[in-house]
This record gives sequence, structure tokens and C-alpha cells, in this order.
Amino acid sequence: MSGSKMVKRHLNRRLIATTAATALIAAVALVGTTTSASAASSKNGGTLYFITNQQQFDHVDPARVYTGRDIAFFNSYLYRNLVSYKPTAGSAGSSLVADLATNTGVPSNNAKTWKFTLRAGSTWEDGSAVTCADVQYGVSRAFATDVITDGPQYLVGALKIPKASDGSSVYKGPYKKTGQALFNKAVTCKGTTVTFNLNRSFADFNYALTYPAGAPVKKSKDTGDKYDLRPYSNGPYKIARYKIGDEMSLVRNTKWKQSSDKVRTPYPDNIVVRFGLSQDVADQIMLDDSIPNTVDLDTLQPANLRAFFADPSKAKQRFNVYDPYVRYAAMNVSPGKMDCLDVRKAVFFAVNMQALIDLSGGLVFYGDPGDSPIKPVLGLDYAKTTGNIHDPAWSVNGNPDKAKALLASAKTSCPAAYDRATNPNKGITWDLAKTATNQKASVLIQTAMDAAGIVMKFNFIPSGQYYSTVQDTTKQNDISTAGWGADWANASTVIPPLFTKEGGFDLSQNWNDPAYPAFKAKSDRALAETNRAKQAAMWKELAQYAMDQYWIIRPVFNKGQDVWGSKVGGVYYWEPQGTFGFGGLYVKG
Amino acid sequence: MFKFIAKRLTATVIVITLVSISVFLIFAILPMDPARLTCGKGCSVPVIEANRHRLGLDVPVQVQYGRFVKGLFVGRTYGQGQAKIECGAPAFGYSFNKHECVTTLIAEAFPVTFSLAVGAFILWLLLGVSLGVLAARRQGKWPDRASTVFVLVGISLPTFISGLLIYLLALRLNLINPIESGRWVSPFTNPIGWVKNFYLPWITLALAFAATYTRFTRSNVIETSSEDYIRTARAKGLSEKVILRKHTLRAALAPIVTIAGLDFAGLLGGAIITEQIFNLPGLGRLSLRAVLIDYDLPVIVSTTILAATFVVVMNLIVDILYAYIDPRVRVG
Repeated sequence: MSGSKMVKRHLNRRLIATTAATALIAAVALVGTTTSASAASSKNGGTLYFITNQQQFDHVDPARVYTGRDIAFFNSYLYRNLVSYKPTAGSAGSSLVADLATNTGVPSNNAKTWKFTLRAGSTWEDGSAVTCADVQYGVSRAFATDVITDGPQYLVGALKIPKASDGSSVYKGPYKKTGQALFNKAVTCKGTTVTFNLNRSFADFNYALTYPAGAPVKKSKDTGDKYDLRPYSNGPYKIARYKIGDEMSLVRNTKWKQSSDKVRTPYPDNIVVRFGLSQDVADQIMLDDSIPNTVDLDTLQPANLRAFFADPSKAKQRFNVYDPYVRYAAMNVSPGKMDCLDVRKAVFFAVNMQALIDLSGGLVFYGDPGDSPIKPVLGLDYAKTTGNIHDPAWSVNGNPDKAKALLASAKTSCPAAYDRATNPNKGITWDLAKTATNQKASVLIQTAMDAAGIVMKFNFIPSGQYYSTVQDTTKQNDISTAGWGADWANASTVIPPLFTKEGGFDLSQNWNDPAYPAFKAKSDRALAETNRAKQAAMWKELAQYAMDQYWIIRPVFNKGQDVWGSKVGGVYYWEPQGTFGFGGLYVKG
Repeated sequence: MFKFIAKRLTATVIVITLVSISVFLIFAILPMDPARLTCGKGCSVPVIEANRHRLGLDVPVQVQYGRFVKGLFVGRTYGQGQAKIECGAPAFGYSFNKHECVTTLIAEAFPVTFSLAVGAFILWLLLGVSLGVLAARRQGKWPDRASTVFVLVGISLPTFISGLLIYLLALRLNLINPIESGRWVSPFTNPIGWVKNFYLPWITLALAFAATYTRFTRSNVIETSSEDYIRTARAKGLSEKVILRKHTLRAALAPIVTIAGLDFAGLLGGAIITEQIFNLPGLGRLSLRAVLIDYDLPVIVSTTILAATFVVVMNLIVDILYAYIDPRVRVG
């Protein structure tokens, strides 16, 4: 989703005509408007450049875009959703605003039905109106999993359409049309109102619609897989050229009307994304400020990052903030693995977290030791947990004595697990992606484990295959390093994915834990809870339980750094997307 | 000659077939799962399987290979309904990562790599052979010593260092606009833009290759100069220029033609590092991403076959040229 700060204010001209007092107020308002308009016009124009080492955007097709940066980029410039995040800095940016719709959605039937009414005046780049049928068609594309890949599956999972025996939807998308009638019942159109019928209570369904997978697509312009190269625009810009490995060039969409869009204020005349620059070259451009109207879409390399952040003249060309991600080590608690709480705790207390953080950039650039799978940037859902890093015995440098004491306890509480953890012929195996940093990290972990008397082995998996390996329950070892970012500002996109079997990323394999059924039931209740405060309280309790069980250890609340040139204005960090608020960017005159 | 060429062409087809089969087999036995890799965050088994079907990896490898070969002759169709994609013959497949028929991708990338290779080739041959001849003619004197330094520097500096140094220096001197550089410009529509785009990568590659050619030419010329027939030519009263041009160089250059042909063919397959540094959208960059990031089988197979074809065909050309340059060699 996206947008930019609204600059123009609307005057109520009827008031001006009625009383002198209001005329005075209106006059003041008029001055304000003129000032704002003049400020806006000074921001308008020019070409804004983005540079990246990547060869292409992961995806451009709204049904396939999934990373925060790409969503923020395209929602700001190319396509509009029914609802969007407020385009502003700070936690206010995580609140929803109506975009194509007239409001942020009307739930009924205990949040199993959601209605949105389309705003008048929204058009495609050929001037034709955005219709309810376009929304219906756009949503339907996510079901064509043999064409539309990589995208979020929230809508596929939530819409009231039966599932086949293999768990897939019986509706196969608009290309095959199998089960089309079922889809047409799940998503209905009446005039300009689109209704979503869901198979469960989904209190934050409107947040799921901040993903462009819920955005409209004009059927006649759909080109299947190739739509990823040239989606049809209903935003303030349209694609003039997109060549993978070369550039994406955006020009103004002359059919887009500011009056129909309460979210976006497009400033530059042209936007160019240059792909494939060598990282050294890209870093040099930023360090020299040789193309001052440029935004770097990548993070600088470590040495250049330090140099950039040490330069006081660049203080207004950078930010260093919490990104959306939490990095952690997942404990596979299935029988025969890390099924002993004392052993899990022993590993946790033994780890030298300071050394690991220092290895990756230190507290300044990498992140802080965390105490929950939910990051503080999620606001309402985060609460400081007890135990883990708040345990008096915990030390950021590791506490081998405490670890030894826990192992001694495990000797009686779970002798088999104790034997595995301490027997040189057995040992615990830690999955790591095979990278230079992880290889160094393994040495640090090994040293800490040796000090605690834990036998640790490492399984290095080629980076490209890492997640496909550890997500295979038969291939995952005892501990797996992983990372996760919330999909929207609600822990409904953290707790269920990470700690329930159906969530898709449950690396703790906790479903054999005797407490799991109760945990799962509570998670389901939280998902359906429409009272946001009550829901937040439930997420906090579940996070505390996951931490108490040491299903994950040593979470790190990651930080991210971004830099831009001296002639780029309007930069702010858009918290829910974990990236720039692209809509606010302009080229300084 | 015809028989010779026919035999070599047959061998070429066999080699290329074996190469393509090998690539398919290697891809099939690798532990990675492209269907899982392009499935997204937290995807389910049905989605992975749908993706596997989309990629054409849900059938045995021999069937995949059969479809590939058939596509070369009759083209291929992917998907159905509004999502249908057709790649005309010769269809090397469809890249789901780049959303394009592979034949089109290669057709776009090849002119870039060819431009890079041709320019660099001419430059390094001119530089390497001239310096080599000069060093041989002035053996032990300063031109010889200077060429030794050049050879040492050229060989010691890998292209990822020299290329980067050249690029960053050009950037500092405002000789290059990183936003514009690397973009394909046709020599037929904008020859100056084409040269501006390629002169730095040409220099980078030429520096690396010319060093080897300088050393090689020098030693060949010195060795040939001491041959009996050169002494005879000198005794006949021929000028040194004529001896060098008609006798020494002709013999000395024959082996250089061989390695030049193979080097050129190798470059046509993609100068991966140079293309990467200068952001040139050539075959090298195309195949590098396909191998390292996308696991894009159709692109990997096609670029490998293409590279193998270049090497085999250049070998053939070199053999023919060799016979022309050195009268002692006769084909067949």
C-alpha cells in the first residue's frame, strides 16, 4: 500500500460565503493552502533515481509481490488497494486508511463477512473506471497457483471456498476456471460494493488487503505470467519501460486524478530504477553523492556503511532503524530432537550473543538482543516478556555455569536428551546456511558450547536451499537459524505462522508438545478476536509461552540502514513496510 | 575440405547433444528444489506441487529432455487460456524468472557479449602481438623490459580487480554515468554510444588477454627467428621487414591463431566478471544469475549449449585458418 503526505487542503467555500468570521478563517486557510500548494509545486518535477545491485524486482504483478519494499514501491506509484497504510512516519504509519474503498472495510457476521465500497473516480491508465469486477478478478488470480507464484496466500486460505483433499482450494483460478462458481459466491459484487465471505472470523482481514494480492486487475489486460513485467496501472505513474537487468522507468499516468486518491501525492515527473549496479559502484555513488537525486535500494557494504554513518555531513541522508525482522534460532522440539526444556535452556544460556551480534555489525548496525518473536515495532502486540534475556542468570556474553547447572538438571529430568547433548559421539546439530558469516558464527557458538560442556555440531546448507531444507520436517536438525517479519502490524502474522503446524513456518515442530492443543486453540481464538485490545493481550500471552518453552532462542531485533543522495527530500521510514515511504520522496530543486 | 567440414559438423552436433544431456542430468541430481525456491514465504505442499507443474519439473528428466528437443523444432506452448504463452521454434524454453522465451533472452544478450568480445579481441590482438613483436625485435633492450613489466601486471591483475579499478577511476573522473552505462546501444544506430559503452570493458579484457599474447608472441617470434629458413631468407638478402612479415610472423602466429580462436569462443559464451562489473546485459550475466540465484534450467541449458557451440565452431574455424596460415598444414 502506500502513498505520500497529503499536501493540498480542501476549503469549504460555502463557509467563506456565509460569515465574516469564517471568511477570516477561510482566508487564513487559503494562505495555508497557497503555501502548501507552493511547497508542493517546489517538490514537483525532476527525475528520481533508485539504484540496486539486484537484476529485477522479485515481482511486479500485484498478486505476486510479497516483500515490504516492493509492496511499498508499487503501492506508492503503480497500483492501489482497497485499503492502505497511512503514508507517514512513526507508528501512525501502521494505521489503515481507505484507498480505493470509501472506508477501511465493514465487518459483519463476527468478522466472517467484509464489505468495501469503491470510491468514485478511480480509473485505469486508459481512463476506464476501476470496477468491483476488477477487484473480484484481481483477487481470483491468487488461486491460479500454477501461474501466479510467490504471492501471499492469505486470501486463498481465508475465502469461503472448499478445500480439495490435498489441502488446495477447489477453485483453480481464472485461467482454468475450475470452481469459478464457488469463487463468485465467496467474492461478490453489488454495484460498487465488493463483499468477501470468509471461512472463519478474520478480525484483521482488512490488513490482509494491504497486500496488492487484493488489488484490482483489469481482466482484458491480464497476460498471466507476463503480467509480472507490465501490470496495468491505476496509480499516479505507469510503466514506460521495464527491462530486467537494466531499468524500470515510470512516467506520470495522465488518467490518474488526485481528486480520486486521498493517499498519494506524486512529486517527481519521472522515476527510474537502475538495476544490476555492482555493489562497489553503487556504494561509491552514495559515498561521493555523485548522483544526488538517487536513493540506494540496497544496504551499503559493511566498511562503506561505517564510513557513511561516520560522516557528519551525511547525517540527513541516512537512517538506521528497526526493520520488520526478528532473527532467531528455532528449537526443533519434536521427540528425539530438542525435546528437553532443560537442554534447550542450557543452549540458550551458553550462547555468547554479544559475540554473534558483533560478528554481524554490532549493536549499532545489526540489532539488539530480543525477548520475543514479536518485535516492539508491532506496537500493541509487543510486551516485554519474563525469563529468557531478563533472567538474572542470563549474560549477553553467555553463562556457561548456568548452562552446566541446567545440564545437570537434564541428567535426571530427561537423561536421553542429556546424553545426546553431552556425548561426543552424538551431540546436537545446528542447521546454518552456508555463508562466510555463518561459518565464523559457528566457531563462536562452538566455543561457547564447549565452555558449557555441550557437544554441538553444524550442518551447513547451501544458502539457496536452506529454507527448503529446514522446512522439510524430515530434514530439519535440532536447531535451525531463521528470520521472520510480520506481514502486517498484527501478531496474527507472527504467532500462528511460527508456532502452529498450519502456519507454514513452524520450525519448532511443536505439535507433539502436550501443551500444543491448548496453545493452538488460543491462537485460533486470537485470530478470530475482533476486539483488538483483547487480541493483543492474547498474542502477548502466547509469545510469553513460546519464550517460556524456549521454542525459539536468542531472538535479535534486527536493524536496517538506508541511505540516499543530498537532493532527495521527503524521506521517512514507513514502519509497516520496513522501508522508505516512497510516495513522499521528491527531488529538491 | 567439404568432407573435413562435414565430419567436424557431425562431431559438433554430437558434442552439443552430450552437453545438453549432461546439463539436464546434473540439474536433475542436484539437491535443490526450484519449485520450493520460487514458492514464496510459508507456502504449502499443494502450492509447491502446482509450481513444480508450472516449471515442467513434475515429469521424469528424460521426458523433460524430450520436450526440450521437440521444442527446438516445433516450438512450445505453456499454460492455457488467457495465461497461455507461446515460444516459437527454435524454442529453448521459457524462463519463469524473466517471464520471457529463452530464445528471446539469448537474442537480446548475444549482441552485447559479441560486441564486448569483438572489441576486446581486436584490442588485445593489436596490443599483444605488436608488443610481442617489438619485444622480440628489441630483445634485452628497454622495449623488451617494458613489455615484461606489462605482462607481469596484466597477468597478475585479475579482471575483477582491474575492471573495478578502471570503473571506479572512470566514475571519479566523470568519464562514465553509471545510470546510463551498460545499457545496450546498437553500433548501427549509435556507433559513438556503442563505443562509449564498451571501451572500458574492452580495455579491461584486453589488458588481461594482451599480456598473455605479448609473452606468447615474443617467444614465438624469437624461436622462429632462429629457424634455418629465416637464416636462408636473410642470406638471400631479403629485408628484415619482409622476413618478419612473410616468414617469421606467418609461422609464429599460427599457434596464436589457435589460442585466439578458443579465447574468443570462450568470451562469446559470456565474460561473466567483466559483464558483471560494467553491468552489461550479456550472456555471462544471464547465465550467472540462472545458475547462482534462479536455478533457471532452460536458461542454464541454453547458454551452456551456446557456449559449447561457440567453442566447437571456433575450433573448426581455427583449423581451417591454421591450414591457410601455415602451408605445412593441410586438412584431411
